Amino acid sequence: MNDDRVVLRVQELRKHYGEVHAVDGISFDVPRSSVFTMLGPNGAGKTTTLEILEGVREPDGGTLELFGRRLARVDRTTKQRMGVLLQEGNFEEYLRVREVIDLFASFFERARPAEEILELVALSDKKRAYVKNLSGGQKQRLALGAALVNDPELVFLDEPTTGLDPQARRNIWSITDDLRAAEKTIILTTHYMEEAETLSDLVCIMDHGKIIASGSPRELTLGLGQEAMIEFGAEGLAEETIAQLRGCCKAMRQAGDQLTVETEDLVPTMGAVLQWAERNEIALRNMVVRQPNLEDVFLSLTGRRLRE
Amino acid sequence: MRAFPALCGAELRLLLRDRAQLFFTLIFPLLFILIFGFLMADVGEVSARLGVYVSPEANGDLLVSVVEESGARSVQMFDLPALLRHAVEAQDVDFGMEWDGTTLRSSYHANRVTENATYQQIAQAVASTLELRRQELDPVLVSERYDESERQEIRWFNIMVPGIIAFSILSAGLFAVSGHVAAMKERGTLTRLLVTPMPAVALLAAIAVVRTGVVFVSTLITLFIAWGAFGLYFSVNWIQYVVFVIGSTLGMMGLGTVIVLVVRRASSAANVANILAMVMLFLSGVYFPLEFLPPALRALSQALPLRHMAEAMRYATGVHDMSVTHFWVTTLALAALGLLLLPVLAAYVVRGERR
Amino acid sequence: MSGTLGVARTHLVTALRERVTLFWFLVFPVFLLVLLSAVFGRIGEQGGVQFEITVIDLDRGQPREFSDLVLGLFSEMAAPPQEGGEPLFLLTLPPADADPVRFLDEERRQLQRGGRAAVVVIPDGFSRAVTARLGGLASGTGDAADDAAKLRIHYSQGTVASEMAAAIIEQMLAGVDREILRRFGALDEERAIRTETTWVGGGDAETSYIDFLLPGIILMGFFTNGLFGIPGSILFARDRRVLRRYWVTPLGVPRYLLGLSIGHLALCALQFGLIFGIGRFALGASVSFRSPAAVAFLALAAATFTALGFLIASLARTGHAGMAIANVLNMPLMFLSGLFFPIAGLPAALVAIIRANPLTYLGEGLRAAVGVEAGTTSTLLLVGVPLLWIAVSSAIAVRKLRWDVAR
Repeated sequence: MNDDRVVLRVQELRKHYGEVHAVDGISFDVPRSSVFTMLGPNGAGKTTTLEILEGVREPDGGTLELFGRRLARVDRTTKQRMGVLLQEGNFEEYLRVREVIDLFASFFERARPAEEILELVALSDKKRAYVKNLSGGQKQRLALGAALVNDPELVFLDEPTTGLDPQARRNIWSITDDLRAAEKTIILTTHYMEEAETLSDLVCIMDHGKIIASGSPRELTLGLGQEAMIEFGAEGLAEETIAQLRGCCKAMRQAGDQLTVETEDLVPTMGAVLQWAERNEIALRNMVVRQPNLEDVFLSLTGRRLRE
Repeated sequence: MRAFPALCGAELRLLLRDRAQLFFTLIFPLLFILIFGFLMADVGEVSARLGVYVSPEANGDLLVSVVEESGARSVQMFDLPALLRHAVEAQDVDFGMEWDGTTLRSSYHANRVTENATYQQIAQAVASTLELRRQELDPVLVSERYDESERQEIRWFNIMVPGIIAFSILSAGLFAVSGHVAAMKERGTLTRLLVTPMPAVALLAAIAVVRTGVVFVSTLITLFIAWGAFGLYFSVNWIQYVVFVIGSTLGMMGLGTVIVLVVRRASSAANVANILAMVMLFLSGVYFPLEFLPPALRALSQALPLRHMAEAMRYATGVHDMSVTHFWVTTLALAALGLLLLPVLAAYVVRGERR
Repeated sequence: MSGTLGVARTHLVTALRERVTLFWFLVFPVFLLVLLSAVFGRIGEQGGVQFEITVIDLDRGQPREFSDLVLGLFSEMAAPPQEGGEPLFLLTLPPADADPVRFLDEERRQLQRGGRAAVVVIPDGFSRAVTARLGGLASGTGDAADDAAKLRIHYSQGTVASEMAAAIIEQMLAGVDREILRRFGALDEERAIRTETTWVGGGDAETSYIDFLLPGIILMGFFTNGLFGIPGSILFARDRRVLRRYWVTPLGVPRYLLGLSIGHLALCALQFGLIFGIGRFALGASVSFRSPAAVAFLALAAATFTALGFLIASLARTGHAGMAIANVLNMPLMFLSGLFFPIAGLPAALVAIIRANPLTYLGEGLRAAVGVEAGTTSTLLLVGVPLLWIAVSSAIAVRKLRWDVAR
């Protein structure tokens, strides 16, 4: 059964460590030329799932189909067509940038010219620099270059922008866009909700080893059935005062001085909130009206935030 | 200052848990002693296992009596020259002598280059004495030795042990700074400690105290093992010994400070210290006597602290003589080196790491 | 370039770029080679060791010929030799106006402190005593009735230099004694003993120290390279998660290991070239490593220490632990191998280590292969023990070596 449109099919995948079910029976398809994101808090099972897909770990149960081939575990042949950017890893400090790319190129049967790769990740002018003299962002770009050296059909990006400054993050995003434009399939894991929303075609949200929701970012947020969220800060509110607000909207949550009101109908709810504030002489601070996002989706499904 | 005892406790625990460091401070010197005790126990000693063949027409008694007086450790008789030479080759005996009444043939193992000179001396002495006896002559002049050392019998190993102790002190002091403090700086542990009201000097003093204490214990263990396993006896002047251990540990911490100031990168400091220590070890009269060094290197060794530390340690353990002044000057110079550099080290500890 | 060669090249290049590695694997063996040959190669040679001695003549009597003879001999030994180098003795004589007895006391104090190796004293009446002895011999009344004339050698027992100087001086004086007897006619030259020297276990002359030392230093270089370099590479790459990046590519562990080994052997070849070059062209070694047997032992040695390195890497949890294990093994194995120090006459425990130590066999085999030693151990053992080590180390390493840190 070779469905060319699906690069990766996972069914009932399982992995446990003793009593702990790190991956507890998950299933998903990754279509060709899409960006597929696994979202979830730390410990959700994203990294373990990724490790199984990268060939670092063996699953305890379920099936794995990559490039149309049923596999017990990811093997050398499959790895020829994959590129992996690990969450944690280093290069030999005393190698030059160009030498790193050449080294990794030597691991594959076919590889792109090093100059092209360096151009792709904007490290051409650093090609003679030693790894030990690179900044964090440059090292990450080098790692990305090494992951793309074999012109892979399927690219794994595990937390690609964690710990990077905003500029570096945007660099990585732009490279990811280029990859997508070149019709690569990308599997991304992140705990940055903003990243998931911006880059993904498909998102699956994981928690405690299971997939609790999946779909495009838009589908998922629309699924909440909210039109908007109104957020603001207000100090020293008494219980009864807050209770007054509950009646006027669909749902409300409070975190310290921060209140979030969810509504299906923005305009009337907005009016009600402003009247409530005026009536009780409350000073509203930092009021924001926004669309629901994946954070809200996760919260509604689990009662917890993505980043605890 | 409550910080000080607490720091000492923490430093001590850290050191005891760092098995690699503990190994080098405690076990390594012992390993050295044990191995070298056996290997080098006979260096400089005129003591050999001799093999002898006397052909039937010769008078064996004369040769044997001369040989027995020669100071050879043991004499083994062989029935055939071939057997004797085989024994020399197999190193069952150290060299051999064959006597046929007119010719004395000595055989040596070609590869025992460092010891053959000694054996040849013995052979020559035997030959001279044999010649006189054979012609029933008594010597016209003899030489008598007078031992000025006022000590009981000492072997090269006696001299080596204080040298090894001096080296373990050098390592401990040097790596306390170039290894330990430098690593703390690189890992950022230092910064965390220093944003508290604790003064840098308290930390350094704690490190100095703990490391001096531990190295002191290790030197005692070394002396004990040398005594227990090899029957070596040292007449230790305890006051001098204790003051010297303290002073020289401080001095070596000072040397470590110089290294970290020059080298900048903390991880390289440990490597540089290691290299320096190794080079010094070979050029300071610890492994082999200084007299064996070519004059140029012998002159260079005057500049090496380990040479003077070894000499001072030999004095404090009653193995060697020097003027009391010389000893105290050495000890105080080392202590001064450490104490003067202490504020410099404190400054280094406090300033930010340059990226 | 295939993955294997890529890994090999990386290993070689990074080792050469790290200054520390460069020092320990290249500079240090050369340093040891030069130093040890300078030190131990000179013992027993003319112009080798030099001793500071003092000779004090207290003889007031007449005739003085024998005292002068002794003095003259020492002066001769203190004169610069004709072929250059240094004289055996650095001689101090009492200044003309000094009180000899007080001078003697000062010198004895110097001796105690290591400022002198020996102090020779020609006592008052020495020359006369010798004359009397000779007279006794001539008249046949020599019944050892007159004691021999005595010379005093003051030395410091336990100080190696002093012991050596005293022994040398004793011998010199025994030679003087013989010479006097000969001149006097008491010693019958015709009946004199002839002495000969033979060498066993090597060529037909004493092996030069540098020829003895060079194979040992080369092996030591391979040894430390394998013991520290291989675990260092693997473990630190593993700890720093460098290896992890390799495992998500098709490279695979076997190719990595092969590449690492090739890179390591290239380093060994470099080491060999450097050490041999200096030994041959700067220090005058004459051994040649061109024979097939020599090449075979060199290769066997490199392979043995590579396997040993893998063994250590498999036993250590972190890079630092690996280095610690290497350090524990380094000294004992190196010194209990006969490479640098004689290993005759040692207690059983140490002999056991020596017999189990692959370096012992490789050292003997290599020396035999370059013609420095015709050893007594069978070829089977010389080759078999290292091979056994390779087999056992590899077996253990293959099972126990972890390729990634725990996640």
